Amino acid sequence: MSTPILALDAVSRRLAGRMVVHGLDLAIARGEVLGLLGVNGAGKTTTLRMMAGVLAPSAGTVRLGGEDLYEQPELARRRIGYLPETPPLHAELTAQEFLTFCARLRGLARGAVAAAIDRTLERCALGEVRHRPIGALSKGWRQRIGIAQAIVHAPELIVLDEPASGLDPVQALKLRELVRGLGRDHAVVLSTHVLPDVAACCDRVAILHQGVLRHTGPADGAAPGALRVGVGTPLTAADWAALAPVAAAEPIAPMRWRVRLRADATPADLAAALVGRGVGLTELRADDTPLEATFLAIAAGDTAAAA
Amino acid sequence: MSAVGLIARHEWRRLAVAPFAWTLAAVVVALMAWQFLLALQGFIDLAPKLGGLKDAPGVTDLVALPLLRSFSNLLMLLVPLITMRTFAGERRAATLPLLLASGVGDARIVLGKYLGALGYVLALVALVALMPLALGAGTTLDLGKLAAATLGLALFAAALTALGVLCSAWAAQPALAAAATLALTALLAVVDAGARLQGVANAGINYLALPTHLEPFFRGIVASVDAMYFMLLAGVALALAVRRLGALRTRAD
Repeated sequence: MSTPILALDAVSRRLAGRMVVHGLDLAIARGEVLGLLGVNGAGKTTTLRMMAGVLAPSAGTVRLGGEDLYEQPELARRRIGYLPETPPLHAELTAQEFLTFCARLRGLARGAVAAAIDRTLERCALGEVRHRPIGALSKGWRQRIGIAQAIVHAPELIVLDEPASGLDPVQALKLRELVRGLGRDHAVVLSTHVLPDVAACCDRVAILHQGVLRHTGPADGAAPGALRVGVGTPLTAADWAALAPVAAAEPIAPMRWRVRLRADATPADLAAALVGRGVGLTELRADDTPLEATFLAIAAGDTAAAA
Repeated sequence: MSAVGLIARHEWRRLAVAPFAWTLAAVVVALMAWQFLLALQGFIDLAPKLGGLKDAPGVTDLVALPLLRSFSNLLMLLVPLITMRTFAGERRAATLPLLLASGVGDARIVLGKYLGALGYVLALVALVALMPLALGAGTTLDLGKLAAATLGLALFAAALTALGVLCSAWAAQPALAAAATLALTALLAVVDAGARLQGVANAGINYLALPTHLEPFFRGIVASVDAMYFMLLAGVALALAVRRLGALRTRAD
């Protein structure tokens, strides 16, 4: 990854006496779209608020371009765009009036505002409602104006909390295209519950669970270094641990395991070790676990642990 | 334009398109115009008897100043209605993150919100002050006294507005913010009532009371100590509002 625009270093956040985000290390670079996933209460919104400069971390640092965001909050003015879970719209104004204010608030020069608004309205397909009061628009339109206010000043980092909320399927499809387009020139972080959205428009995902970062990886779900292994005889975790090439193994089904190799081991080493122990090998392939399975496994793992 | 001016102008714009602000202004003007006409009629009825008195009070003392004094009482009810929306209204509508994420400092946000609300309040003060000025076309007014009273009213309004902004930053609900502002200003209005009943007028408790510093303006006396009181009150309230906004960044909202 190139030099990160935003870097969270050991960030924790306590709210109402409870640790909501704990020891989070995360970075995002220009040209990257990061999807933040997690069940309700996982700490996604708190994390996004800290990224956007709205909520200071209890511990750790949030760095924007190498500078501490909370020591220099004015950094956020031009460089970050933020769409909260509820779009912060002034319903009594028209879309154009509101975006003009947002652009000026974010430090855009007066002469550059008109062009920026035209560009943003076109990008968000808001042209036909630009002169209508925001309060009179449907939820889908308001959501798009919320996105527009986050990008009108062309920030380096765009933070979107549930941007697809309230959009119909056609609008959601356009949103994916919009986010992908934004990801070419900016760094984008978005949280969503819609997993196909993540797979369609994110380069990387980070899965939070109970305030802890549990997984980062490519959005297509591939897990480099991990193998899916089918065996002809039942094995236990201890059997796997006894094999030299194996770093970790977890069961997927009675005779199928997800195996992570040690750094110096190859799949051939594993096959040789299994055959050497007389274990029938029925399957050996790269583990391209779909995102949904990873997500559910993390959530279900904790449910099982809690049970 | 600075961020302060931008936010203040935006607040003005939002008020200008809101029926609430126009309705409130219409009610205030109607109420004060009615009081003005009643006072004027009273003066016209009393004028023949005043003719024979030495140093008899004029139209400024009997019509203009009572009107402005009465408006000062009304302001204690009006200002909470205007300031409650500055921050508490934003929090209720979940729009505060727009400002908090903008990178504009807390002091400039508070100042912009304050100036926006104060602009509207001062517009109301100006509308009411224009009523007695209209008498200048037909009679002689004590413009010095009128100017002093209007200045006092403006300073009083500035202090009340700052208290309202503070309460709005403190409360999560606009109604709570309005109630807190009303309670705080009422407390400052009567804080020395007990002392006054016992004939004490120069104690520290009297200095805290709003009427102690407003009344001299209505008598045509512009004292820097009174002006400083209102400015100090406004400054302290706004500084506390800035602290509160900073605290909102470190707490869940």
